[in-house]
Amino acid sequence: MWQSFRISKCFLALLVLVLLIVASRQGFAIPAFSRLYGTSCSTCHIDFPKLNDFGKAFKDAGFKFPKDDESMLKIPPVMLGAPANAELWPKAIWPGTIPGIPPIGLRMNNYFQYTGTSSGKFAALTPAGTLPPFVPTTDFETGFFSIFTAGNFGSDIAFWVDDDISVSGANAVGELGDGYLRFVNIGRLIKLPKNSLNFRVGQFELELPFTQARSIWISPYDIYSQANIGAMNSLVPLQQFVNNNFQMADVGKGVEFSGGLHTGGYNYSIAIIDQNTGPIGQDQNPGSPYIPQATGSNNGGVGVASNADFKDIYASFNYRFNLEHDKESREAIQAAGPTGPRDHTYLNFGTYYFYGRSVQRLLGATVDNTSSLVTAREPFYRVGGNMTFNYRCCLQFNALYMFGHDMNLLPIDSTGALIPLQNLSSAVPVGFIRSTPATFSGGFVDAEWLAYPWMYLMIRYDGVNSTADRINGLQTNPSFTGAPFNGPFSSTRNRITPGVQFLIHANIKASFEYQFRPSQTVVIATNPVTGLPMAFNPFHTNTAVAGLEWVY
Amino acid sequence: MIPRFLLTLLLISAVAVTVSAGTIEGTVSPGKSSVVYVDTIQGKTFPTPSQQPVMDQKGLMFNPHVMVIQAGTTVQFLNSDNVQHNVFWPSISGNKKLGHNLGTWPKGDKRPFKFDNVGVVSLLCNVHPEMAGYIVVSPTPYFAETDASGNYKIENVPDGKYNVVAWHEGMKPLTKPVDVSGTGKADFTLSK
Repeated sequence: MWQSFRISKCFLALLVLVLLIVASRQGFAIPAFSRLYGTSCSTCHIDFPKLNDFGKAFKDAGFKFPKDDESMLKIPPVMLGAPANAELWPKAIWPGTIPGIPPIGLRMNNYFQYTGTSSGKFAALTPAGTLPPFVPTTDFETGFFSIFTAGNFGSDIAFWVDDDISVSGANAVGELGDGYLRFVNIGRLIKLPKNSLNFRVGQFELELPFTQARSIWISPYDIYSQANIGAMNSLVPLQQFVNNNFQMADVGKGVEFSGGLHTGGYNYSIAIIDQNTGPIGQDQNPGSPYIPQATGSNNGGVGVASNADFKDIYASFNYRFNLEHDKESREAIQAAGPTGPRDHTYLNFGTYYFYGRSVQRLLGATVDNTSSLVTAREPFYRVGGNMTFNYRCCLQFNALYMFGHDMNLLPIDSTGALIPLQNLSSAVPVGFIRSTPATFSGGFVDAEWLAYPWMYLMIRYDGVNSTADRINGLQTNPSFTGAPFNGPFSSTRNRITPGVQFLIHANIKASFEYQFRPSQTVVIATNPVTGLPMAFNPFHTNTAVAGLEWVY
Repeated sequence: MIPRFLLTLLLISAVAVTVSAGTIEGTVSPGKSSVVYVDTIQGKTFPTPSQQPVMDQKGLMFNPHVMVIQAGTTVQFLNSDNVQHNVFWPSISGNKKLGHNLGTWPKGDKRPFKFDNVGVVSLLCNVHPEMAGYIVVSPTPYFAETDASGNYKIENVPDGKYNVVAWHEGMKPLTKPVDVSGTGKADFTLSK
């Protein structure tokens, strides 16, 4: 009984953690812009933080009104040099501006969660001799108190920083979300067409087909949260030695070249970011006297960010067809409707590709038995496509597919024999051989209907099929090694999530989601026919989540 | 001879009536941007004004914020912004049947609308919900807006007994009887 409670709580904590991690990256409407321009959230957002077409144009322009920005500002910017100084350059600093007031927005959210009683079944995973905690079926959760700031420094240089000040009521355990400078339309310097080239540097969410950081969903897109962590499981013949913690929704540190517009036609992004596939964020590495660091002296500093020299590469390309009959309306930022401007009816197709290398280092030896560090550099890629159909203001269908592929290098000893992964700690690897890749695929489809300006009805299907998760699911006992869900019953995890959101005010939102969660299991037995392990007795641990969020 | 005498007498009488046109003045609390007008005068009609005042949309605001017109006036709605607006009003003095949507038009263009119904028109924008403006449609040509101190003065009001209405954004309108004999005076204190 007590044991069941312990594991259930572990599971619940994991669930809440996942939710909160997601929540930490969502909800960044910008009250700072409301203050500067004296305008409502709904000028740029359909249901914050989801952008409407005007909001997309505002962002594309570098957090400015696409035209006549100066006349729209209710609080004029402070000049950091008269514009005429530009004529003196390079004998003067190029003139810029800062916002007339600190463009700061704040956000707070709270959650209430109901977890199905099936969560108690995870008691079977409780290690022997440990005390089980109590698992509440219902639970109030303090969310995030976050600060974010964004704006424009003049000369088409935009900035954005968001950071969680406190998480779950604890101080300073949050983290930086995005923090970057974006140089808009730098292509003009080399006479490229307008909007064809921008440059961004800092830490940022990749230009994903559908943003996770600014999604309106409480729960994350499962495929974006999919790491590829293979199992060291001798129970199954196919072993995987992959330990790639990379997730598509992760922020990256690096640079990005981008271009095009998100309101029509093409847009692209090419990003080069630090490789970080380890289980611990490299920015948390303690300072070392042997590692030069950006802000360190002889030792210490902010921590190195990469776990290898290689830089990961991400590229995406989208093309959006605005389907308005009237040419003038089709080419405008917003379509003209009889009751006012509205979002275009459009069809968007896109594709994306990510290439990186996952690194694992083992203490081993050379072939002549000299102690050495052996390194497995396992290239991986994520590739997929996406589609959106949007009907005017109110109805949108989205779909995304992703295929993930990690090279699977298995360690070998000096005789060239495979080292059983469970014996790795006592063996002396000298190298690796290539085995069957660790792959996964999946994606999601969703429908979002703005029934009223203040009410969004949504439903989403998530599906992930992962060889690594399947293997991990078969070793629920004695330990869980990192699959996103405990003990998936099969290779494919399906989740259906209906939701509804209410804008109580333009800046206060109540959200509800019910997650019909994937089939899971904690009972593993041997298949009498094949002699291989097999999962039994599937169950679902459905979850209802209510959120209340406000920004100001 | 007699007809000429009568004509002269009539002319003098008419001039005398004109001369007797007076004023209504006073103060309105809370002050600036209040509107005061003479309510419907039974049996009296007035010619349609030829002037067409402009209600501008500039910097995500209606300008002027408050406008008072005589019933039958055509207002030109101008968009001076480089963003699109959508001017509409859900009702006139609460009568939702009189709600209307003017649509959307590009920068520099005007769109006219003739206000035949008396009442308060709350102007809104579908795109920018913070935008608000008011057109007060008066049944008579006798109206005024208050100055910064809340003072008003309605001129050229014929002598007589009238009901005078005071209105201010967010306040309950107040009606007072005023007897104009050369001058009339009415002070208003509006409340929410």
